[in-house]
Amino acid sequence: MSIKIRMRGKSKGGVAEVKALIKHPMESGARMNKKTGKPYPAKYIDMVTVAVNGTPAVDAQWSGAVSANPYMAVKVKANAGDEVSVSITDNTGAKGTSTIKLK
Amino acid sequence: MKRRSFLKGTLATGAAAVAVNAGLLTPSTVLADWNAKAFNAKTTDDALSGVFGSASTADSGDIKLKAPAIAENGAVTPVTVDASGIDGVETIAIMASKNPMPLVCEYTFASNAVGYVSTRIKMGQTMNVIAVVKAGGKLLKAQQEVKVTIGGCGG
Repeated sequence: MSIKIRMRGKSKGGVAEVKALIKHPMESGARMNKKTGKPYPAKYIDMVTVAVNGTPAVDAQWSGAVSANPYMAVKVKANAGDEVSVSITDNTGAKGTSTIKLK
Repeated sequence: MKRRSFLKGTLATGAAAVAVNAGLLTPSTVLADWNAKAFNAKTTDDALSGVFGSASTADSGDIKLKAPAIAENGAVTPVTVDASGIDGVETIAIMASKNPMPLVCEYTFASNAVGYVSTRIKMGQTMNVIAVVKAGGKLLKAQQEVKVTIGGCGG
């Protein structure tokens, strides 16, 4: 199942703030299951790419220390009508992509 | 940037797995995509060396680091790093000084992006949030202490 991403973006004076809310547990692999005494297996987003009209703008690497259901905001140089996409991959290989047109 | 997108492309088509099997790429080359050395580092200095190849930073007032003075829930600490006042920002790394693995995230910016990041991070206890910005070959740093009343790790 692909990872769900909700996005919003608005351009003002050639710079757009792009916000993304991702539905993901962000399990670091260090949290213990008290019943079994074993850690919950790691499952966190490690790669994030933000692209404007298909050109990569921001490339991020995350660890399990980013909060669950991550919120991310970045600023890119783009105008209204440009397409901005956020693509993510987690450490288990699950992927998610979302694209919006800037307002 | 090019090498990373190349690796991504090959991973997407599954060709990387074939390449590994054929011995064309050693597994370490593929894993180099995610900066494991920096993320697994136990100290902020080691993490910095892993990301930037150097741990010598200079304090800068041009980085606007926004974090709460007191975080009621360390599992969701909002952090904003605004380095848009600096020209040529290449990378922003966010670290939590006393986390078991301090490096939380690193962002690399192309020319069509602005040096600005807002996110939410987990913090186990009261500690400093450190933002390190690489711009024009220099490493600039800003930090702020965040008091955590409920830890974000260990549950």
